[in-house]
Amino acid sequence: MPSSSMPTVTSLSAAHVPGTDPVVQLDGLSHSYGDIEALHALDLTIPEGEIFGFLGHNGAGKTTTLHVLTTLITPTAGSARVCGFDVVRERLEVQRRIGYLPENVRLYDSLTARENLRFFAQLSGVEDIPAAIDRTLGFLDAHDLADRRVGTFSKGMRQRIGIAQAILHEPRVLFLDEPTSGLDPMGVRQLRETVVRLNAELGITIFMNTHLLSEVARVCTTIGVLAEGELIYHDTLASTLARFPDEASLEDIYVRLEDR
Amino acid sequence: MSTTIVVARQQLRSLARSRTFVLMLGILLVMTGLSGFIGWSSHATIIRVYDQTVQTLTAAGKAAPPNPFASKPRLSLLNNMIIYIPLIGSLLAIVIGQRSVTDDRQAGVTRVIFSRPVGRSSYFWGKLAGSAFAGVAIMIACLGLSVVGLGLINQGLPTGSELVRLALFYALSGTYLFLFVLVGMVAALLTRSESLGLFAGVAVWVLVTFATPQFTSGLRPVASLNPVNDPVATSGSPFFKVTSKAKPFAVNEQYKALSTRILTVGSRLQPATSAGQLAPIAAFLLALGAWAHLLVRRQDFSEDTARD
Repeated sequence: MPSSSMPTVTSLSAAHVPGTDPVVQLDGLSHSYGDIEALHALDLTIPEGEIFGFLGHNGAGKTTTLHVLTTLITPTAGSARVCGFDVVRERLEVQRRIGYLPENVRLYDSLTARENLRFFAQLSGVEDIPAAIDRTLGFLDAHDLADRRVGTFSKGMRQRIGIAQAILHEPRVLFLDEPTSGLDPMGVRQLRETVVRLNAELGITIFMNTHLLSEVARVCTTIGVLAEGELIYHDTLASTLARFPDEASLEDIYVRLEDR
Repeated sequence: MSTTIVVARQQLRSLARSRTFVLMLGILLVMTGLSGFIGWSSHATIIRVYDQTVQTLTAAGKAAPPNPFASKPRLSLLNNMIIYIPLIGSLLAIVIGQRSVTDDRQAGVTRVIFSRPVGRSSYFWGKLAGSAFAGVAIMIACLGLSVVGLGLINQGLPTGSELVRLALFYALSGTYLFLFVLVGMVAALLTRSESLGLFAGVAVWVLVTFATPQFTSGLRPVASLNPVNDPVATSGSPFFKVTSKAKPFAVNEQYKALSTRILTVGSRLQPATSAGQLAPIAAFLLALGAWAHLLVRRQDFSEDTARD
């Protein structure tokens, strides 16, 4: 019976120098599902330390891009690099450096939050698992949830434990797919604060697919707009707001970009 | 700790908290515990009928034939297990195999798992190891219950030879049940819907347990009621020529015939015959295992939402 040895994780965040290589780099990235082209020749570079908001309507290709970057699917053309490693040829190196929170993650209902986290920590090769769990739960102010069964959690609580599993192994980049989906206003606010703290205090680069333009305006440093598989806009939030001075909000800018 | 062990342990943890699994396991263990008493009860009834017949014949001045059931092997009291394992055990095995796939899907975590440094083969072997461990533990529990049951009925522990045969029987049963673990796993991997996956597994179980025997020992009506040692004797007619082709696929019949021979201490185990009856089970195990492995390697785990 073959069994792969686990990679060990000590402290990835301490091992890298911020602000050097791009964390995400797409060159002519395309992906097709049969005859349907979901992504067409995407070129995108995201430097380290950014909070990147990836905007686009349903079916634009945001989740497909995320699946390529998290090594879940193989692109049909072009290349994608995460933390300097190719997502196809150096899959394991990419997987060691990323955290991922899919949309609607539910975790194992019958297990406690701590048991769930222990499982994902073991898969990621975290060395001192109890300490990593305590540290992560402390950071997210979620110690009170540790020994409760996930099946009893609200959507907001699940999301906190979902983020905990994604950052337990101290990734350099965190991919979030529609993280505010289904959350109440308090949950949205908590998540926004968490994202900002993850970036500011742990130095984690954030790549966030979202529909909520108000959240993008409050949290993100850079935005990209995807329409029908093509990247139609990419710039910093500050430059974007300066470039469209006549528009009252980011929503107006987004509508104008989509209309172009 | 290797990925295989982490995945296997997680599967066992999840399984232990699954209500369906616990319920079916409970039924199997209760029936295993009762099987010795049910066998003893029917045996005692037959002996009483014989004794009354002897009294009637003696009163009429006729000679009574010797009791044909007096020398019945003690292990044959457990013959009911040859029915319970394919009926209850197989369904339990399908649940184990199916849950090994659907647990992660229901939790929506397969995407997270495969965004971690987890190889698909390691994941597959982990699931298989978890299922195998659960199967071995269940068979050991059944063996223990059978030993206790026989000990209570016979007021003494089984002999060494009986213990070896019991262990052989449960090893064979575990192997047979693992076929259904793989059936459950393959069915779940082929379907996105949990209920459809379970239905497909149960459909295969019905085919193996009830349909294929109809083309083998089922052609002799008595064989439907009692496990028989020899599969159907084929004749030269076209019907028998066609139905005889189904014999290797009737793994349930192979299991029953071999189990009957194991539990009947008087009968010798012929290595050549036993190997011939084990071969179809082993062949199906290998084929289903390879299929499940291929499906895991090719599965699109970016779509892990459970439907239903």
